[in-house]
Amino acid sequence: MTNRVFMLPLWIRLWHWSNALAIIVLSITGISLHFSDPSLPLVEFSLAARIHNIAGVCLAVLYAGFVIGNIVTGNWWQYVPKPPGIIKRCLRQMQFYGSGIFKGEAEPFPPTPEVNFNALQAVTYWSIMYLVMPVVILSGLVFLYPQFAPATLFGLDGLLPVALVHYLGAAVILLFMVSHIYLGTMGPKVSSLFKMMFTGWYEH
Amino acid sequence: MRGAMALLALLAAPMAFGDDPPPTPEELVKIRAANAECLSCHSEAGLKKPPKEGMDLKKLRSHLVHLDTFTASDHGQMACTKCHGDGYAEHPHAADAKDEIAECQDCHARKAMRIERQFDKSVHAENLSDTFTCKTCHDAHTMALASKLRDPHKIVAQDNKICLDCHDSDLAFAKMAPDNKKRPPIDDIHAWLPNTRLHWKAVRCVECHTPTEDKLSLSHEIQNKDKAEKKCASCHSANSSLNARLYRHLQAEEQNKYGFLNSVMLSSSYVVGATRNPTLDKALIALFIATVLGVIGHGIVRIITTRLRRRKNHD
Repeated sequence: MTNRVFMLPLWIRLWHWSNALAIIVLSITGISLHFSDPSLPLVEFSLAARIHNIAGVCLAVLYAGFVIGNIVTGNWWQYVPKPPGIIKRCLRQMQFYGSGIFKGEAEPFPPTPEVNFNALQAVTYWSIMYLVMPVVILSGLVFLYPQFAPATLFGLDGLLPVALVHYLGAAVILLFMVSHIYLGTMGPKVSSLFKMMFTGWYEH
Repeated sequence: MRGAMALLALLAAPMAFGDDPPPTPEELVKIRAANAECLSCHSEAGLKKPPKEGMDLKKLRSHLVHLDTFTASDHGQMACTKCHGDGYAEHPHAADAKDEIAECQDCHARKAMRIERQFDKSVHAENLSDTFTCKTCHDAHTMALASKLRDPHKIVAQDNKICLDCHDSDLAFAKMAPDNKKRPPIDDIHAWLPNTRLHWKAVRCVECHTPTEDKLSLSHEIQNKDKAEKKCASCHSANSSLNARLYRHLQAEEQNKYGFLNSVMLSSSYVVGATRNPTLDKALIALFIATVLGVIGHGIVRIITTRLRRRKNHD
């Protein structure tokens, strides 16, 4: 008999999947633009630029929705890494991913309605959502309206630092996405956490 | 036969004035003094305070020269009379003085022949062959060669003004265009180009509206929308055609500054897809591959250890 517990309200699930879609679209078009090559186009440049602009604005709107939703519902507290013992809990979690899982050990900090994330998740999600995402979104908006970029900086075009920050931030998000999708298989069953992200119910 | 005649004309042509050495400092003083006499009328100051009475000020207004702009231009060290002829040496000017104004090819014979072959194929020749001359676009009192201006922003401002003066003005367009030809709204026909107006500040119209095959020089074969370049990646790529175009005079300075490709462009523009850093790109690609391989490896070990455990539990 499996136990099930309701974990994720509809707005979080809707935000999560729209955000995921926007990030995937932005990654594909962003790679096409940055590595633009006439003989090997992933998505044709002007089409990629157009899609990237639209998806970028969608991501910014979704992000605003995420921040407001978190404030209104109090969900923001879930993301706050909470000492004391946070480092110890992070190490314990790493030890689980590094060896415990191969030995069939149980998840050391399974999700509960009160505490959704383990310490490593909280630290990572907080950094991605409140440090990297705003940087990528803001630099993206400057890219959309380059007249707001400084004209020059150290004798080079002022858009260069904006572009570099955008590129590096986006790379971090892409690396996060790969690990995030994989860590999604670490539930009681490989499919448990994906199912939870759709239904809101955690089965264990 | 025509080719032989052209060759003969070329050989017979006097040493092109366009290649003349610059005047000596003494000559320059004389030239400046002579030009100052012309500008005593043909300048804003002259118009405000005409040195003579009874002048046709309305006519004068359309024949003004700005001294600083002229001095900075390619012809800035030349005497006005070099092109405008002796008929203009005195005032009132000779009645037939206008007929003796020099044509560009009088000095720039070789260049004019080369350019004419390109121009003959252009959209301007197709529609306006009777009225379109060098002077339609090139004002000899203001133009400066790109190689002299060097700064891409200045080159772009000068060259795009020429195109936009007609193509962004109904009045100016109607003066030149054939009857019934309506000026297409410039923003509408370029709506496909993202950040249109910003592009026009960063690159020249001719970057796209001349054939891109010719990498050696910029052609005078101005092309309409059917033939113009529409592939963004011709500029927005590692092997950007801007190198052979807007930035060709700065190419000698290209030093892959801070390890960036096409870093010569970076002084004035960040060009997505062109100005990138291969070292940074490689590091991030390596990191991405390492993450994907790490995840796959972890997954494989998980599958194997799970199976081993299951087998053990069965035993």
